[in-house]
Amino acid sequence: MQILSDSLIGAVTPRTDAPAKAAGRIQFTSDINIPGMMYGAILRSPHPHAEIVSIDTSAAEAMGAVCLTYEDINPVLYNERSVSIPSATYRDRTVLPKKARHCGEPVATVAADTQELAFKALKELKVTYNILEPVFDPMEAMKDGAPELYDTIYLGDEAVKIHNNIGVIRNIDEGDCDAGFKAADRIFEHHFELERIYHCQLETKGAVCKPEPDGSITVWATAQSIHANRQLLGRILGLPLSKINVKKLPFGGSFGSSIQVNTVTPICASLAMKAGRPVKLITSREEDFYDHHKYPAIFDVKLGVSNDGRLTAAHVKAVVDFGAHQIQPMAFLGCTAGWFASLYKYDGNIRFDGIAVYTNKTPCCAMQGYGNPQINFAIESMVDIICEEMGFDPIDFRLKNYRGPGEEFWGQGPTIRSIIKSSGVEESLVEGREVFGFDERTAPSSKNGDIRRGIGLARGFHTSGTAGPKEGEVIDYSSATIKINEDGSVDLITPVTDHGGGTCDALKKIAAEVLQVPLEMIGLSPAETMNTGYDVCTHATRGVYCGGAAVYHVAMKVKDKLLETAGRLMAEHAYNLEVIRDDRLGQGVVQVKGYPLKKMTVGEIARQAQIMSWGTIAYTDSYRQRNCPPCFTTHFVEAEVNLKTGVISIPRVLIYGDCGTAVNPDLVKGQLIGSFNRGLGYTLYERLAYDGRGRLTNSGLMTDYKMPTISEMPSVEDIDVRICHTYEPSGPFGAKGIGEAALASVQAAIANAVYNAIGIRFFKLPITPEAVLKELKKKARER
Amino acid sequence: MSVHDITLTVNGRKVRLTVKSNELLLNVLRDRLLLTGAKYGCGIGECGACTVLHGRECVLSCFIPAVCADGWEITTAEGLSKDGKLSVVQQAYVDKAAIQCGFCTPGMVIASTALLYENPEPDEAEIKDYFRGNYCRCTGYAAMIEAVKVAAMRMKERGCDDEEL
Ligand code: FES
Ligand code: FES
Repeated sequence: MQILSDSLIGAVTPRTDAPAKAAGRIQFTSDINIPGMMYGAILRSPHPHAEIVSIDTSAAEAMGAVCLTYEDINPVLYNERSVSIPSATYRDRTVLPKKARHCGEPVATVAADTQELAFKALKELKVTYNILEPVFDPMEAMKDGAPELYDTIYLGDEAVKIHNNIGVIRNIDEGDCDAGFKAADRIFEHHFELERIYHCQLETKGAVCKPEPDGSITVWATAQSIHANRQLLGRILGLPLSKINVKKLPFGGSFGSSIQVNTVTPICASLAMKAGRPVKLITSREEDFYDHHKYPAIFDVKLGVSNDGRLTAAHVKAVVDFGAHQIQPMAFLGCTAGWFASLYKYDGNIRFDGIAVYTNKTPCCAMQGYGNPQINFAIESMVDIICEEMGFDPIDFRLKNYRGPGEEFWGQGPTIRSIIKSSGVEESLVEGREVFGFDERTAPSSKNGDIRRGIGLARGFHTSGTAGPKEGEVIDYSSATIKINEDGSVDLITPVTDHGGGTCDALKKIAAEVLQVPLEMIGLSPAETMNTGYDVCTHATRGVYCGGAAVYHVAMKVKDKLLETAGRLMAEHAYNLEVIRDDRLGQGVVQVKGYPLKKMTVGEIARQAQIMSWGTIAYTDSYRQRNCPPCFTTHFVEAEVNLKTGVISIPRVLIYGDCGTAVNPDLVKGQLIGSFNRGLGYTLYERLAYDGRGRLTNSGLMTDYKMPTISEMPSVEDIDVRICHTYEPSGPFGAKGIGEAALASVQAAIANAVYNAIGIRFFKLPITPEAVLKELKKKARER
Repeated sequence: MSVHDITLTVNGRKVRLTVKSNELLLNVLRDRLLLTGAKYGCGIGECGACTVLHGRECVLSCFIPAVCADGWEITTAEGLSKDGKLSVVQQAYVDKAAIQCGFCTPGMVIASTALLYENPEPDEAEIKDYFRGNYCRCTGYAAMIEAVKVAAMRMKERGCDDEEL
């Protein structure tokens, strides 16, 4: 996997879908229009907890609407997220429920000839509810006598009784924690709380479904995995998978919000099948606000430290309020434990006690990091506290304790482990110290005035994919098809979806580099479930590392075929031949090694092979990575706190990303800066508050939700983004991931900088101006 | 519901339509003219995804009843590129990697164009001020600021008149 000097890998090339996006011509789900289509709309529960006694659809039907209730949609019991193996997946829901368990849960649905008529018909649906007492607080929910959301759910095929709303308990114990804490000279214990937040991907979820004359159905949907959507639709519609075709589309951001099969998709498909006509169903922003959230978390963290600066043991207790349905809190707890365990060595002594609890709130799903930003905030804040109190240098302490090359990394919970082979941690910490002037920071006590500045840092990571050397509880493989056309151009067909980070561009580059064709000569074919092998999902920062590895694998096979075909045509042994890119000819050329005068263009070879009836030079296969390397990040942040208003701003940031080889450095930087913006929101502004009746206090409004806008960002020249110089031996051309890692350490870095500015430690996010003022007052009183 | 006959000029093409009084400009552009350059992100004037040009000013098409737009000249992102060639602003967005998922992009390029009509050499503070109403959840905005600056510089270097934006 050698990278040549004129390689496409690492070159800044404008992403190929950018012109169409700039011109507003690329089609997202909501841009799909089909002649004769109807419009769908969903009636959502106004109650957080209520039995549905009956639904009268007659008035709506009299208006010409097609209606569906729980009585009409196949009551398949499922989990929206299907990346874990079935025996590690809890199933607790049907498409439309007999009992609503959160405000905004779909209760019934209609389709009509116009959007207006659909909304009018919704109003005519008469639902009789038997209102039940709700429970919103996870601690309350676990008490005896609290309202119960479920009686029985399923783990795989096994019935599981639910007691006290406890959905999952996951305890992990390794090494000898008690001995580790005994060996410590100091023990630190703190309590952390992180709020629910919302993805606010700019495109709301939706689907368009078209029944075909042969009884099959075509589906366009916001989906991170086309195959997961097809498989679930097959069960719900009772159709063979060969009759369901889910198309791959670009989508307007995701951040995890479509890791699962969104309810809107089976609803839309069921409507279309019943109506026998295409149906389009795009949810509103308000609906989307009630669809999925990021997991909140409550942590109690205990760390043991020796006087020589070694972490000797760690114990984390986690309580997670995941809402009304399981979208894999089991995996979430396992992953959270894994991120925690992999951050530092703790002498191998770790304990994790996780509880995930049902409440009458919106279900939580993946959102950039799957527990990683949450636990990172806690641990990296604790490390700062330890260094401060015990007088260690925060950078030296991290370098001494972090899990680096040769050590174990849990890529997706305790069952998926790998050995770290590449790490940019040292580079980022050592160089960053100098570049950012970290050592010039002064103690909080030495600062005065109403505007105070502080410097903080934190480090983090995320996995690249979920494929360990040994299989675990998560499925991970990808597929690709590549064929060489008769003019030397190449078609790449991949089921891997692109959330906007440029994943598919990277895949193109990988294929182009292996086959030595100019980038313009690689076409990314429209992909759908019908013409692609399985890919689990674009999640877990696996697009480039795992999807790219499948493309690399298939491209190498195609290259073998190409050289073999060329050998027959040129009367040479294939091993004597090589393919190189000829930018002048605008295609690849196969030539005799060391004797470039004997050559043929790739197009010529493909054409000749066709004329001789030898066949198309093409290959299809699936491929599984056998590693899940961490991609590391480090954030150095300067924070400015206004003591009068409590407002925190960020004048300066230095970000290090370690993605192995950066296939496209510009896009990697874009990921890091975009994540910094979202991290800013998570740390300082965003919070989904519920009123006492199960409604969101922001009423589904973006402005009231308070995301960072352009104004909150540091000025462009004060955002310094650097890519570490690493090479991941197991990755395609040395690449690993970056997407989720980019967010992991933002929160703690900001909070640590705030501490350095004003000497106040925040254990809860977001650190709003109100929270700052409150703490300042408290501090003044204490003095 | 009353209906009205209106005339719009959209991307240089005149269209006559009969609209209901509750129909929004965004719906007319998307559902009736089948344009994809104005997006639905919130439907109530919060996100900027539906931004289009009315003459040289940007407006939120989700916020305007179509009947109020009678006689307007409207440009969507599709209309900025001419004969398959991207506008200066659009090209700058491509070159500066200011596009990720691309869902905010049409609104962003329209807003950038309107800004440059108004202020051909905006500094960073002016750009930030202008974009407060346009959310992008992906990019962190830095690349967009650079794209606007590059577009402004290219216009100046080429001595372009702003018709060519
Ligand atoms: S859709 Fe118009 S501002 Fe959001
Ligand atoms: S590029 Fe995705 S919202 Fe802006």
